[in-house]
Amino acid sequence: PGMPMNMVSMGTSGPATEVLCLMNMVTPDELKDEEEYDDILEDIKEECGKYGIVRSIEIPRPIEGVDVPGCGKVFVEFNSQADCQKAQQALAGRRFSNRVVVTSYFDPDKYHRREF
Amino acid sequence: SREKRRKKRRSRWMGTENEKAVIPGMPTILPADLTPDQTEAYIAQLQIEELTRKLRTGDLGIPTNPEERSPSPEPIYGTDGKRLNTREYRTRKKLEEERHKLIQKLMKINPDYKPPADYRAPMVKIVD
Repeated sequence: PGMPMNMVSMGTSGPATEVLCLMNMVTPDELKDEEEYDDILEDIKEECGKYGIVRSIEIPRPIEGVDVPGCGKVFVEFNSQADCQKAQQALAGRRFSNRVVVTSYFDPDKYHRREF
Repeated sequence: SREKRRKKRRSRWMGTENEKAVIPGMPTILPADLTPDQTEAYIAQLQIEELTRKLRTGDLGIPTNPEERSPSPEPIYGTDGKRLNTREYRTRKKLEEERHKLIQKLMKINPDYKPPADYRAPMVKIVD
């Protein structure tokens, strides 16, 4: 099938950071519901905690009439790059709500500035 | 209470570290320096591949437990007395519509994108 763009570098993570970006896990619709959002947050916290110390999690939620950057992605900040790396190895390709989880490292500065 | 509810429900995570989904040609670890457009295109393509696989294999993901299925609409029967809007038919239609939307989106981001061979754009209904 036609690759969308130059996919040569796909499958390589680049240098590790302590922030993991998880994609293809949640839909904006699921995040609208308060209980569902809480459950999703809890599921992610619990699983990521198996691979290292989780410092913080950000799940951008939809806002009516606003194009929220990063909505649909999940960001997990670990205590160290090593923890983050372990989590990436463990979680990439797992299924969450039957969707295949895609991961990448994320720039910690951007994360702290909430530039999703 | 919240605690009780949490104990009853299952985690959304499936499988273990050793049971990973493999989609040919679609790695699940991406470089950090992709643009938002590239990421969006990649995720759309991955979703299209998954939907294509489901439609081709007939493994539509209908829950085996009837309690987990959504309620059925009123049945519609054909002239031969067979039901037309079966769960399989409805699920297939939903997956095809989902795939159609994703393909449209991806073609907008990347005009060179070639849709899967078995993809047909749905017929446009002409309203008088």
